[in-house]
Amino acid sequence: MSDNEDMEIKQENETIEDIDEKEDKLEEEDITETNKITSLKTLGPFIASKENSKNTVYLSDVPAVCKDKPCMLGVDEAGRGPVLGPMVYGIAYCPLESKKALEDLGCADSKQLTEEKRDIIFNDINTKDYATSCIGWAVEIISPNTISTSMYRRSKCSLNEVSMDSAMGLIQQAIDAGVNISEVYVDTVGPPEKYQEKLLKRFPTFKITVAKKADSTYPIVSAASICAKVTRDHALKVWNFPEGLVIKDNAFGSGYPGDPVTKRFLAEHIDVVFGFPRLVRFSWSTAENALADKAFDMEFDEPDTEKPKYAGTKLTKFFKGTTKSGEVIREECRFFKQRHLANVIDF
Amino acid sequence: MSITLDFNGKNLAKSKTLDLHYLPAKIDGDGEANVEQYFNNYTREATDYGSGVFTNALRGYPLMGQRLKVPEGFKGLVLQETEKPLSESSDRQLRLTGVFEEFTYWNYDKVPSNGDAYRQALIMSDVAQALAQPINEQDLEAEIARNKENTKTSP
Repeated sequence: MSDNEDMEIKQENETIEDIDEKEDKLEEEDITETNKITSLKTLGPFIASKENSKNTVYLSDVPAVCKDKPCMLGVDEAGRGPVLGPMVYGIAYCPLESKKALEDLGCADSKQLTEEKRDIIFNDINTKDYATSCIGWAVEIISPNTISTSMYRRSKCSLNEVSMDSAMGLIQQAIDAGVNISEVYVDTVGPPEKYQEKLLKRFPTFKITVAKKADSTYPIVSAASICAKVTRDHALKVWNFPEGLVIKDNAFGSGYPGDPVTKRFLAEHIDVVFGFPRLVRFSWSTAENALADKAFDMEFDEPDTEKPKYAGTKLTKFFKGTTKSGEVIREECRFFKQRHLANVIDF
Repeated sequence: MSITLDFNGKNLAKSKTLDLHYLPAKIDGDGEANVEQYFNNYTREATDYGSGVFTNALRGYPLMGQRLKVPEGFKGLVLQETEKPLSESSDRQLRLTGVFEEFTYWNYDKVPSNGDAYRQALIMSDVAQALAQPINEQDLEAEIARNKENTKTSP
């Protein structure tokens, strides 16, 4: 990045702060409306007003042109790897002919952008006329509680399945809201072919492109990526622990297992019975290992549903009636066995 | 060895009602737990499965639960042993911690039903009653008369 660009970002930062101050005054007047995200400032309060153990979906208003003109739609996610916090899926869409607006916003690979720059672009998407008139977006915040419980179900649901369901759910919601979609671009970490096949099956009329690093190739995916990433960052900032924990500035690090701040957070906030607060994804091996060392052992009823295959009566069954010394073993009455009842003398 | 239950009807009536959870997991530890903040805070009604079914999670494992009453004619008690017995033959004393009429029964990722081991086991209380209930003379005679009636009518 050249010095020149750096300067520009700083200047833009200043103007943002100016806007923020004005909005502060406005907000005091109309007592924080939390149902709508109209700028970067309103994102935090919106997320904070929702239950953080459940998923939350937010759809922006659909610009009128997106209902008439054929649109492209980008899909990307943020926060897949971290052991802490939600995973966020984002979509962004605009008419095929409105590429210019995306370029003006500066949509590029979201991981190459600084946090400040992403915040600025997110704010612009929601406030600048040239953007709000043609770009719409939506996000789904998938709570860490949902991630853990999905992955620990009896019939395990992998993170990939959770991801695809979320992506398809968001596309469907955009369709239901009246967006005239013609092309879909999806960023993926896994093998693109399978994903593409699944999407085509569900949405056969769209031109669908699934690619690795799509967020650096397609500006619309980059826009989706920015919405997802900014939402994830804010979700962590405004995280409120129902467990009653108070962490100064919510400083629990990036959430990546290698981050020393995250490591310390995990080590210091173990509850011997319940494990962690539900900010943590219990199904991550980092979390599992930490609990194996420090919390009470916990064994679930039938954690594995796989039953041994029935291979007929064993021949040795007929010799099992007696012990070596000749004592007769009486089989328990079926009535008691089925009801899990047994004689207990010691307890 | 004898076991003393250290309470009477009076302190039974006075003792506090406890909020209990029946969990589908074995926890290898004893002690106080932050049930309110770490668990009760997250109990939600799962309307998809009809009324009265709740969801929650324990260490990330999904749970589905239901409020259950103790069987009619029974009373739920929680007893605690403050001193571990030194040997198998030493006397033991159990103290009353509290009582309960209701508790929350949780299954691991399964809607509570009559197929649950707990409910299956409780059928025993009906069987026990049928086996142990005294039968009076009149009932007995009526039963004999009915049997005679049956043998006459059947060929």
